Amino acid sequence: MREYGYFPGCSAHKGTGIAFGVSTRAVAETLGMNLIELEDWNCCGSTPYTSTNELEAICIAARNLALAEKTGLDLVTPCSDCYIILKQANTELKAYPDLKKKVDACLAAGNMEYQGKIQVRHLFEVIYSDIGLEFIKSKVVNPLKGLKVAAYYGCQMIRPECSYDDIHNPKSLDRFMAALGAEPVSFPMKDRCCGGSMIIPELDLALGLVYKLLESAASNGAQCITTVCPLCQTNLDAYQGLVNRKFRTRFSIPALFFTQLMGIAFGIDPGALALDRSIVPADRLLSGFIKVPAA
Amino acid sequence: METKAYLMIKVDRENGNGHTAELVKELEAMSEVEAVIPVSGKYDLMAVATVDTPKKVAGVADQIQAKDWVKGLHILKVEAAVPNPFLDEVLATPGGETLRHCHQCGMCSASCPNVGQMDYSPRRIIALVRAGRRFEVLSSNTMWTCASCYLCTARCPQNVKITDIMHALERLSVRRSLQYGRNTATMYKIFIDTIKSNGVICEVGMMSKFYFSTILTGKMNPLIVFRMLPVAAKLLSHRRMPIRAAKMKEQKQLNAILKKAQALGGTQ
Repeated sequence: MREYGYFPGCSAHKGTGIAFGVSTRAVAETLGMNLIELEDWNCCGSTPYTSTNELEAICIAARNLALAEKTGLDLVTPCSDCYIILKQANTELKAYPDLKKKVDACLAAGNMEYQGKIQVRHLFEVIYSDIGLEFIKSKVVNPLKGLKVAAYYGCQMIRPECSYDDIHNPKSLDRFMAALGAEPVSFPMKDRCCGGSMIIPELDLALGLVYKLLESAASNGAQCITTVCPLCQTNLDAYQGLVNRKFRTRFSIPALFFTQLMGIAFGIDPGALALDRSIVPADRLLSGFIKVPAA
Repeated sequence: METKAYLMIKVDRENGNGHTAELVKELEAMSEVEAVIPVSGKYDLMAVATVDTPKKVAGVADQIQAKDWVKGLHILKVEAAVPNPFLDEVLATPGGETLRHCHQCGMCSASCPNVGQMDYSPRRIIALVRAGRRFEVLSSNTMWTCASCYLCTARCPQNVKITDIMHALERLSVRRSLQYGRNTATMYKIFIDTIKSNGVICEVGMMSKFYFSTILTGKMNPLIVFRMLPVAAKLLSHRRMPIRAAKMKEQKQLNAILKKAQALGGTQ
């Protein structure tokens, strides 16, 4: 068993990305991962906090880092936004000693301390680099043969820096999908922005971005899009109807978390993968791959 | 009197010297040198140096000329340094110091997915920061239109942390209360208030508060309700938007940390 500190983040915990949290838990056992959820974590602060008050933003991220340090394990999060916020706070605390001093004083006000001993990692990174594709392949019982997938990386998992992939032309998720037996299609918009939380204040701007992603996936023959971030999934899935109305299109492309597709390939009970939380239904597409185990 | 000097440098190419980027780094390592810009023509590099008295310009020039790869040096211009407190503020934020290296090539603007909606492109915003145009920059919509996708940062040939600079400009705009009327800023405020009361985010509460406050203040077309209702209904029916707000346990501890942060203020 590999052990990790686990930070689900607000969305994948109980919010719009709940299917991500549920399916992550479902595949963790097969992967030999023990995800130990931080006790009483708080929101990472996300872009809104970073863009309003630097010190406060780093402090609330640092509280989570301090909780993780207590477990003595590296911190893993499935959310790309949480990942970049926590990772950047961690990096800045190392790079700017004056800032670290202030943050230390703030944490002390809450009887906490952070020494900077842990690393922040994305769930996909851990599965791809630590567990590895060979192991994944060995666990596949239902190869997703013939399933045409657009592997969508989004922004913040691979940018501004990424230790295991090319930030200008990422391929790790495509390789991962191939390891599940699926057929990753060419997807030129694979690392472009979905708009993230901007879909709330700037709806039309973000719908334009989501449209470009859906159009690129559809025109390249993808039957579904796979994502590594709860915000990306929500924008592609819950807002697909609004995209269709705005751009007079008829997209019906399910957006599935990579953990959900992995679970199906591993033969995990589909009920445990929260597929019913998808607004653009994926049942019909996936029914051929789900083999009900003989009773 | 603080003085700025522009030094033109001719690089000796025959002595098997390193790549230009390495020479630029070597010059930038000097404490007096503020920026180094590759140029074409008679000279190869322009170094911009800041010193506290005009007398010291010659010392800096001698130091540069002493390097074995410098073939020639010409002091183009010496002038009184104009104070630029706005630029200093931006440079003082984490990541902000990379702004010095900007060449104004425009890769950021070409990469930005939202550049079409911005008052000033990312390249122009950096130029305006350098020009000290505080009001134009901080009252523009540019940084509020940034989706933090980091494409500009990933592609910048000069490693300028443009996305981080956008976040810094948002903070400076809030500090000067120039963000009013920006819907993104309104959402950010509601987001932060939720953290201060609940510790974690409840999306349904945050979104309804946001639409309520922007519609009431006339910043959002009320018809958005009809567009958003089906989205919200589907999220609710798929059990992706719990009505009961989640709460963390140790809110007091988090708020004690935040209170201390407020007392300390800023990052510098």
